[in-house]
Amino acid sequence: MEFNLALQDLVNGILAGGIFAVVALGFSLVWGIMNIINLAHGAYIMLGAYLAYTLFTFWHVDPFVSIPLAFIVLFILGYFIQRYIINFVVRAPILTTFLLTFGLSLLIINIALVVFHGDVKGITTSYTGTNFAVGPVTISWTKLWTLVAALLITGCMQMFLTRTKTGRAIRATSMDIGAAQLSGVNVAHLYAIVYGLGAGLAGAAGVLVSLSYSLQPSMGDPFIIKGFVVCVLGGLGSVQGALIGGILYGILESFGSQWIGTGLQDATALVVLLLVLVVRPRGIIGKAVA
Amino acid sequence: MHVGRGLSYILLAVFVAGVAAVPRLAVGADENTIVFGAALAATGSYAREGALTKEGYDFWSDYVNVHGGIAVGGRKYRVEIRYADDESNPQTAAKLVEKFIDQDHVNFILAPYGSADTFAAAAVVERKKIPMVEGNGASERIFNQGNKYTFGVLSPGRKYLQGVLDMAVHLKPRPQTIAVVSANDLFSIEAAQGALDFSAAHGLKVVYTARYPADTSDVSSVVSAIKAAKPDIIVNGGRLQEALLMQRSLKEQGVNALIFAHSVGPDTPDFRQTLGKDAEYVYGGTQWASNAKYRGAPGFITDSKVYASEFTKRYGHVPSYQNAESSATCLAFQYAIERAGSLDPLKVRDALAALDVVTFFGLLKFDERGINIYKPMVVNQIQHGESVTVWPLGSQVRPPMYPTPPWGSR
Amino acid sequence: MPAASTGTLLRKVGFGGITGNRTVFFIMCGVLVAMLGIPALHNGYYENLFRGILMFSTLSMGWNIIGGYTGYVSFGNVVYFGIGAYTSAALWQHFHQLNLLLAIVVGAIIAALMALILGIPILRLKGPYFGIATLGTALATQEIISNIDWLGGGSGFPVHQIDNFSLYYYAMWGVCAVSLAATYAIGRSKFGYALVAIRENEEAAAILGVDPTRTKVQAWMISAMMAASAGAVFAAANGFIDPPTAFASDTNIFPIVMAILGGAGTAAGPLVGAFVLTAINETLWGHFPQIHTLFFGAVIVLVVLFLPRGVLWLLNVRGGWRGLVNSLGAYRV
Repeated sequence: MEFNLALQDLVNGILAGGIFAVVALGFSLVWGIMNIINLAHGAYIMLGAYLAYTLFTFWHVDPFVSIPLAFIVLFILGYFIQRYIINFVVRAPILTTFLLTFGLSLLIINIALVVFHGDVKGITTSYTGTNFAVGPVTISWTKLWTLVAALLITGCMQMFLTRTKTGRAIRATSMDIGAAQLSGVNVAHLYAIVYGLGAGLAGAAGVLVSLSYSLQPSMGDPFIIKGFVVCVLGGLGSVQGALIGGILYGILESFGSQWIGTGLQDATALVVLLLVLVVRPRGIIGKAVA
Repeated sequence: MHVGRGLSYILLAVFVAGVAAVPRLAVGADENTIVFGAALAATGSYAREGALTKEGYDFWSDYVNVHGGIAVGGRKYRVEIRYADDESNPQTAAKLVEKFIDQDHVNFILAPYGSADTFAAAAVVERKKIPMVEGNGASERIFNQGNKYTFGVLSPGRKYLQGVLDMAVHLKPRPQTIAVVSANDLFSIEAAQGALDFSAAHGLKVVYTARYPADTSDVSSVVSAIKAAKPDIIVNGGRLQEALLMQRSLKEQGVNALIFAHSVGPDTPDFRQTLGKDAEYVYGGTQWASNAKYRGAPGFITDSKVYASEFTKRYGHVPSYQNAESSATCLAFQYAIERAGSLDPLKVRDALAALDVVTFFGLLKFDERGINIYKPMVVNQIQHGESVTVWPLGSQVRPPMYPTPPWGSR
Repeated sequence: MPAASTGTLLRKVGFGGITGNRTVFFIMCGVLVAMLGIPALHNGYYENLFRGILMFSTLSMGWNIIGGYTGYVSFGNVVYFGIGAYTSAALWQHFHQLNLLLAIVVGAIIAALMALILGIPILRLKGPYFGIATLGTALATQEIISNIDWLGGGSGFPVHQIDNFSLYYYAMWGVCAVSLAATYAIGRSKFGYALVAIRENEEAAAILGVDPTRTKVQAWMISAMMAASAGAVFAAANGFIDPPTAFASDTNIFPIVMAILGGAGTAAGPLVGAFVLTAINETLWGHFPQIHTLFFGAVIVLVVLFLPRGVLWLLNVRGGWRGLVNSLGAYRV
């Protein structure tokens, strides 16, 4: 009996991990390459979710189809926010950008509150809740497809970063901004692209979130902390790190809340975070961080 | 040239002006108006329920004003309700109530939505000695403080799930095991405790119990544990948000049971709309049902069915019990003021304490702590998209659809 | 980013020794004394408002010790505020003690111990990692307390309130005044200079004989004691405590913004920041209740973009408006 429960928890954790991976990837790109801890990341997730909700409710667009759209819209938003607001202080000490993105987050969340109102909304598709059984374990179709989508997204990101010119320019800039500038890279433009990518990924994650969880303007904030933890687990700036870290975190959270206490989900994760930070700040896979 | 000096004088001026000019919320009610202050959630997690509460308050005030107002010692007074958004935050609620009393000099206070906010407001009105009636905070904790100025027209939190269990033990085949879970907040814990106490007293074996964080987005671990425990009955203490999340997760992991029940949610239109056919067969405790057979005293709508139809005409949706209990809240004031024959806070408070009147909502009578333990809660079940009263037998409109069929075969 | 960059930023704020601009300091002392008169107005709303300013000033000053002076930006000081609040509530609930002074002292001691225990591992982390770790402790503590029934669990418990309500105001005033005096004393002492030395260049400070770990932990303990004192009075005045109230994220973030607005690394900066931000917040809340949090977010963005060194910095900007604008471009790409 206990073994079946553990197995189900393992599966739940892996399925949840896909979303964490996408969230963390966007977060990690911005942090690893621009040294900005983007506290507005949660707000972008929320915007992606509400976009999916709006498209679904008014035009019956299936959320999975909304993913690329959410990515593009949030990418554009992120690009402009970075280029014309955050860019002012992008090389300031980290506290400054921390607070700035926090303020932006408050702003975005409250605008959403005015537009969408504070009540809880949800998306119910024809396939919500459907599942199939594999032995003693029940697997939700929605969550399975969410995981597949997450894998595709991270895969695309990896290809972009390694195979395209822009992607390589991004990685070069992260290693040495001075050299990059000297070789003609327009750093302001590049930074804006990176931030846009981060926001776009958050938007895509938001759509995935909307499939399984309820929507309200403050829904994105818990994901920021989880993003931190995954980045620390998996290391900054690495796509594989975000993926493995995300799934690992999903499993940890699932088991943690079962065996240590359902009321202690976040606390368990944070204890893990502290342990890893103190013992091995480089993370399990990632490169050394400044 | 120093930019600084000029700018700092400006900032100083901003500060002084800001504090001094924090506006009174339109002071000065005229002679013939009774003013109520209501700090109500318009934003935040209780926004939807706050809106329902406001509808209930407004429905009453419009009715009363159209019918000439409240008679106080020979003169007729209009009623006016002033609202302010407490942002679903107890601190803000307390601050607003204090502002209503100290700055705006309102006559009486209508309570916020939710036990935590009501609790905070109760502390303030107790200090200021202004009566407050509430209809949306079911936690008994509010009434165990020795407060003399707060009165609750609704049945206390622990009764929310007891009605369902009372019905369960009378059904055949009689369920044997139960899982009780709840969110980790004031009201939900009490609702769950009520279920646990009832189970202990009536031989239902508790096979699993858990508390999950109030704002969580994921209850998968709780649900997988419930599944492993295989209970006949699953009850969940929480609000609308938690009810939705739990019900969805139960379906997602294919958890079946004879009875699914949530403390809050099933009676709201949002629950049925959001979940669609996944909401079928779900039970919920409710403070009021439109087919309840009460004959109310004169002064307001006397019949539940008439209340329901008038309300639907006005607001375009069938009233939920939050609407009804909010109107009943105001009704308690109406009768108390009339009986006291005065607007003096202490006299009205005493009249409230002595109140004993039947209304469309049920019996309004408060025990010595101030809560209405005399009104029964009914059990509704969602049948074919409608919320139908199934228990107690005296109020039953249709029998319960029992047992709940497995997810796969609906 | 290493601590030195934060130091470069903050160093520019500390005029007149590290306590900051003398004139401003004495003006704020005067304002503080004037605030003793508020209860005489017999207006509950104003008392509430100014008590809030005093509370946030204390929290902000507490943050300033570890964040402004030492350069370790903590996002978890609300943990100590919560500890103070729960001490006060628990003393009533379980021991029927209403004595505020007792609550403050016991709360401060427990908070200091907590800071000691948490500080030794966490203060080893640098820059953003420290910030994140402290943020994490804030969230974790809230969750853990929600699960301890002796402390009320998720429901919290009430605190009995005395009739002479203004006593809470005076108590908060006392806590604030003591904190201000303490900050001033630290600013003028060897300990204070050690803190700034750590902020500027921790390795160099170590070579010069400062024990960084010990000094940092001491700073955090003082910071914790200030926060806990404010929390103890707050719980009593509020009449009720539960995890969301005790560990509210506003209580965590506002003091930081206030310290920066007023000028981190100065003695009176937090007070100035508390006043200005509360004034803006109340005005907005009064005039635009539906969207006041919107404006607050905008305020934070504007402050960070245009006044990163605090309002007091404006007193000394050279070159007029052009000088102001030019200085803003320093950090862009």
